[in-house]
Amino acid sequence: MIRAEVGQPQFSTQITLFGARRAIYYREKKMTDPTLMTDLARLDFAWITTMHILYPPLTIGLASFLLYSEWRWLKTDNDEWYRLTRFFEKLFIINFGAGVATGVTMEMSFGILFGPFSQAAGPFFGNILGYETITAFMYEAGFIGLMIFGWGKISKKMHIFATFNVAFSSMLSAMWILVANSWMQSPTGVHLEKGLFLVDDWTAAIFNPNFLTAFPHMFIASIEIGLFFVAGISAWMIYKNRHAQMFMRTLTASLMALVIVAPLQVYIGDELGRTVAEHDPAALAAMEGHWHTYNADGSPNTSWNLIAWPDEEKGTNTFQIGIPHVLSLLEDHKWVSTVKGLDQFKPEDRPPVLAPFYAFRIMVAAGGILMLVAFWALYLRYKGKFSAEELQRRPWFLRAIIFSAILPYIAIWTGWWTREIARQPWLVHGLMRTSEGVSQMSIAAEIAWFIGFVFFDLVVWIGAWYFFSKVVRTGPDMNEEIMHGVQDDALSLGQMPKKHPPEGKPLIERPTV
Amino acid sequence: MQHIMDITHGYQWLTVIWWLLIGLFVVLYIILDGADLGSGIYSLFNSDSEERGAIMASMAGTWDANETWLVVAGGAIFGTFPLAYGSLFHYLMIPLMVVLWGIIIRAVSLEFHHYSKRSRKIWDWGFGIGSLATTFAAGVSLGAFLQGFSMSTSQVPTFNGGAMDFLTPFSLLTGVTAVIAASLAGGTYLRARFNRDTEIYAKALKWTDLMFYLALVAILVTVAWTFIQFPWARDKWIGTYWWAYVIAGAIVLYATWSMRKASREQRDITAMLWLASIVFINFGTMMATLYPWFVPGTMTIFDAANPSNSLAAFSYAMLGFVPVMLSYNFYQAWVFRARLHKLVGYAH
Repeated sequence: MIRAEVGQPQFSTQITLFGARRAIYYREKKMTDPTLMTDLARLDFAWITTMHILYPPLTIGLASFLLYSEWRWLKTDNDEWYRLTRFFEKLFIINFGAGVATGVTMEMSFGILFGPFSQAAGPFFGNILGYETITAFMYEAGFIGLMIFGWGKISKKMHIFATFNVAFSSMLSAMWILVANSWMQSPTGVHLEKGLFLVDDWTAAIFNPNFLTAFPHMFIASIEIGLFFVAGISAWMIYKNRHAQMFMRTLTASLMALVIVAPLQVYIGDELGRTVAEHDPAALAAMEGHWHTYNADGSPNTSWNLIAWPDEEKGTNTFQIGIPHVLSLLEDHKWVSTVKGLDQFKPEDRPPVLAPFYAFRIMVAAGGILMLVAFWALYLRYKGKFSAEELQRRPWFLRAIIFSAILPYIAIWTGWWTREIARQPWLVHGLMRTSEGVSQMSIAAEIAWFIGFVFFDLVVWIGAWYFFSKVVRTGPDMNEEIMHGVQDDALSLGQMPKKHPPEGKPLIERPTV
Repeated sequence: MQHIMDITHGYQWLTVIWWLLIGLFVVLYIILDGADLGSGIYSLFNSDSEERGAIMASMAGTWDANETWLVVAGGAIFGTFPLAYGSLFHYLMIPLMVVLWGIIIRAVSLEFHHYSKRSRKIWDWGFGIGSLATTFAAGVSLGAFLQGFSMSTSQVPTFNGGAMDFLTPFSLLTGVTAVIAASLAGGTYLRARFNRDTEIYAKALKWTDLMFYLALVAILVTVAWTFIQFPWARDKWIGTYWWAYVIAGAIVLYATWSMRKASREQRDITAMLWLASIVFINFGTMMATLYPWFVPGTMTIFDAANPSNSLAAFSYAMLGFVPVMLSYNFYQAWVFRARLHKLVGYAH
């Protein structure tokens, strides 16, 4: 069998026109500060993930909602549900396009920014991402074209089947991504051999402890962002008194679903907190700014910090406002229990504290407010005030709903920042440090990456939100002909057209503003 | 890399199957998205905003799925050849970064163009420039891939070269070749996609004629350069199985002639299919020349393969999905098969 010699390529006869420039690069590499290089790689990756996570959760939540509203249309044959479906679909496409644009980057950046990690963890992590692209990403791409552009070209049943597949495949995608990410938090089912993570038990690795609570938490977050997005836009339309009766349908449906979904999310979040406490106590201690396991008198420190300012050098908080017993209640559901503080870990194994501490609190506050808003809606419904006229007499309620559409974004961002920063310095918990998994890059290349993606990802973000607002301002199309199944006057590819298609009546209809 | 080989040893046939499948994903990407990218490049040389809108609308239902083959190829490499994924992608950081920027700007241009009024010009250009940048940088990546790269001698060998190693006259040449070849594919695609009485149909013919001759030159130069520079290619081409390469070359010549004939006779779909088969055979020949290298001169497919248990797990879970993927992609292309005229995409 033929094998490559390790080291320099055997047959390299490279013409070194750019040899001089390369020499400069090599010199630069030697001067690279490894801490700076690792931090920049983290920053590079953090930026692209932060700008990507804006879109997929909404895709998942909104796809499920579109499936519901299309089903309502088929069930009731009420045109309003058709128009609502087409309206929210326009927003869906913009969001989906932005998600694809930022998502392709993700799949390549593991190898680019974290090459050694990708190689070592590839036998599990790479497999899972491969599963994701084959079973979910391609699946979704195959049906999304049918769902968006298939109106009038495929039957109603085929169309709702396409919508179902889009909703289902996007969930599947989230599941695989969470498998991969959670495994890095609680890497079960593998052992390290010759520098590679080899899998002993696929079931244990896929259904790792963190995944079992982190995936439901992320899945419900996606549903919640989708529902609040729909509720916020419906509330805006009612607030502005545009098709108010029609948008009451989506407002009622989304808010009543949230009465269940929002508290469920708080419950699952608590479960995830306890999973983290069990499998990565250092991360939990950082999230809570919990330095000292025991008080000065030797009793367990059960105080939960409402606010604090950590001093990582000294290993304590400069000041804090703590409430006794709450930490134990939260983590162990007991009045007094021992919760490991950061003083139980070596300084080099401690995560940063400031960012996880505040990001976590912002996420919890956002989740709590969202739950209260949903309960407010339930209260109004219970009082029989849930009609367009009554709600328009309560502008503060509508304003609160509109404002609430922003909060799930903030919760998702802060939640992921908490998760990813609090597990430092580990890339794969307890097995591989971030500094070991990072590609050996030049600082210049890392900075170029960062600047480039800041520019392009901001173009995507600004563009997406600009066109969201444009679609909302224009409102639903009330005059368009309703597409009942196949409306066939299209020519096959390769046929000669007998006549010109009538002007202004395109063969393929693209949703336009 | 012997120790890794020991782990991968038992599953060589699976390794070869996945290598072939990844080749299939890549060539599907080149054929499908090549046409989309080429139409984008074509649109750069046509200042008519309406026409650009029509070109974008023509791929509205399919561009995402076409582009996704790249993601599938990437994901499958990560899953089945992680050692190659982690080092090759790191080596190609800069060209891949440009590919990604191009893809980002092209994707949003495609989506935003139809919602815009005042900013429409920006998205017109974004679509064209994004397509050009993606194609060129992808071509550079392919050339750089053929050159190979240096690896460390650590336990798990990683890339240890510099960020600019990819940049050589050869990789620049393959970048230019990719742009020309995509332009040809784009012209052929536009001919098949638009009504015969439209202006764009006539213009695409002129474009295709020009690009055909340019592509002929570019590809011959690339092949000759490969022959001179890379012993692994030369040894294969004049080795024991030289006749197989001669036959492949003859088939490509025949296909090229048939494509031109079909194009002149306005059998546009046939022309498109001939072009696709040319790409397919060329790519297949490249794969045959590469074997058993994954990255020539750097690592073989057996060096790069996933440790056996993972590869088997991947195969059991995934092999069945490949025909499923192919079938719903075909269905999708079939639904959107209609010819278009210029005003398409402007429902108002």
